[in-house]
Amino acid sequence: METPTTDDLLQFRDYSATNSGTPAQINVNSPTHATVGGSGSGSGGNSNAQRQRGDPLSDLIYDMSNSAQTIIGGGGPAGGSGAPADGAAGGARLSFLTMEYYQQFFNVDTYMVLERIVNSMIPKRAAANYLRMNIGENPDLYGPFWITVTLIFSIAISGNIASYLQQANDSYHWHYNFHLVSYAATCIFLYANILPAVLWALFKYSLKPVDEADAIETDSASYTPSLLSLMCIYGYSLAIYIPVSILWVINISLLQWLLVITAAMLSGTVLIAVLTPALRNSKYSLFLIIGILGAHIILAAGFLLYFFHSPPEAALAAKPTSAPPLLKDALQKLSTQAVAGDLPPGNITG
Amino acid sequence: MDARLDMFEDVNTSPSLEGDMSIPGKRTTTTTTAQHGVPEYNTLDEPIRETVLRDMRAVGIKFYHVLYPKEKSSLLRDWDLWGPLVLCTFMATILQGSSSADSMSDNGPEFAQVFVIVWIGAAIVTLNSKLLGGNISFFQSVCVLGYCLTPVALSLIICRIILLSTQTRFLFFLRFVTTTLGFAWATYASFIFLGQSQPPHRKPLAVYPIFLFFFIISWLVLSHN
Repeated sequence: METPTTDDLLQFRDYSATNSGTPAQINVNSPTHATVGGSGSGSGGNSNAQRQRGDPLSDLIYDMSNSAQTIIGGGGPAGGSGAPADGAAGGARLSFLTMEYYQQFFNVDTYMVLERIVNSMIPKRAAANYLRMNIGENPDLYGPFWITVTLIFSIAISGNIASYLQQANDSYHWHYNFHLVSYAATCIFLYANILPAVLWALFKYSLKPVDEADAIETDSASYTPSLLSLMCIYGYSLAIYIPVSILWVINISLLQWLLVITAAMLSGTVLIAVLTPALRNSKYSLFLIIGILGAHIILAAGFLLYFFHSPPEAALAAKPTSAPPLLKDALQKLSTQAVAGDLPPGNITG
Repeated sequence: MDARLDMFEDVNTSPSLEGDMSIPGKRTTTTTTAQHGVPEYNTLDEPIRETVLRDMRAVGIKFYHVLYPKEKSSLLRDWDLWGPLVLCTFMATILQGSSSADSMSDNGPEFAQVFVIVWIGAAIVTLNSKLLGGNISFFQSVCVLGYCLTPVALSLIICRIILLSTQTRFLFFLRFVTTTLGFAWATYASFIFLGQSQPPHRKPLAVYPIFLFFFIISWLVLSHN
């Protein structure tokens, strides 16, 4: 490395660490920085540094095949390790105190967000490897965060409008209930954060031991998602409740319950379909499927019962903050179910 | 006149210690700042009234720019948080639920809740646009969002006046129209000021939270009774 040769001036640097986006990076060094660049490539791969450097073209081919092997070999297990920094496309690890570290979770375009929202509502629309290739490659927090915030306020606002419409004919002086925002925020944030965490832990805990015979099949078809991917999927799965919560204003009980079932089924089916590769990998896949679907339906039913079926005014005047008795019954039933059916505890807090 | 502070940067230009405090460029530039953010005027020897009036004039000009959103640079270049503070305090004072009258049925927001929604909301919206890769500084964006509350605050005043009389359906409709106008105006103004800071393929992603922010505050205004 004393005298910079042509291949030092133009050299490919490969990262053997978890690089999912750009596998190779061209590093054009000036002659003064040649030694620094050389040591950097040495840390990237040992065989690369000790190799005799001769022909630039053969070097290039060698390095590219090296990085291709890195992608093929390291793609599956590295993606499932669960650390949020897996999404770092640049290869270099960023400090979590910098803005750039968080920018990688917001690395989405408009069409991508719309695509993911539509995919979360319509079953069978997403490809079979959607979890791994789309969400797992670039999990974003933009969609989940703003969908949750929108849902909180759309439920609070629609709940107020519904109670206004129910009481508009009476001479009762209507007051809006701002505290619905707090309740909605509590239960939705808990659902969107705790449930993915529990699910992630269960996926980790109940991982099937891999047989030698199934090894090839397992590698191709199953995939354990990271925590961030799960939060992303769950956040998007709440998107369908936003239009539904506006439609819940129409005070026809049959229509409201029909909406609950339709919405929960649509987005629950998508959740199951998207998570199939992970569920296949789990020992308790049946329980997990029941738990995911059950939690989704219970969330929708809880919204409807608590925010849209206004309790009688006497009960409201006596205890404005207590849940209506119907909901309490439902919750008690739920908690017994939760013990029996292996439900994650996050949904009971609503 | 015996001992005075010498405010000159360069000592060579004033050989004697005695001199007046006039700095070239003091009277001409009142609100603009230099390239490095250092004010060109000297504020040590002016009356307090002038200082306060100048700052208030700067705040007033920004209110005007929000109500008539044509010129972008002044609101973005010298940001301040006085206008947002005044607006936010005003709105939170009006919007807070009266706990003394009949605490059972009045479930309006507390003062702190409105205050927190405005400030945390503006901070989150700004953080969102920073995370999406917008090239705007944090306080610039908070300043713009705060000043853009002006139309909403105006609609709140009008709603408050309407609420003095007995309520009919027509008056509710009037309040609805007023609030909608204020909301649309605020969103449009902030879009004019902040829209350019994002790359085009992400503009809707940055605009949607702004829309939501003003929508929520307008809802608070409309449902206040």
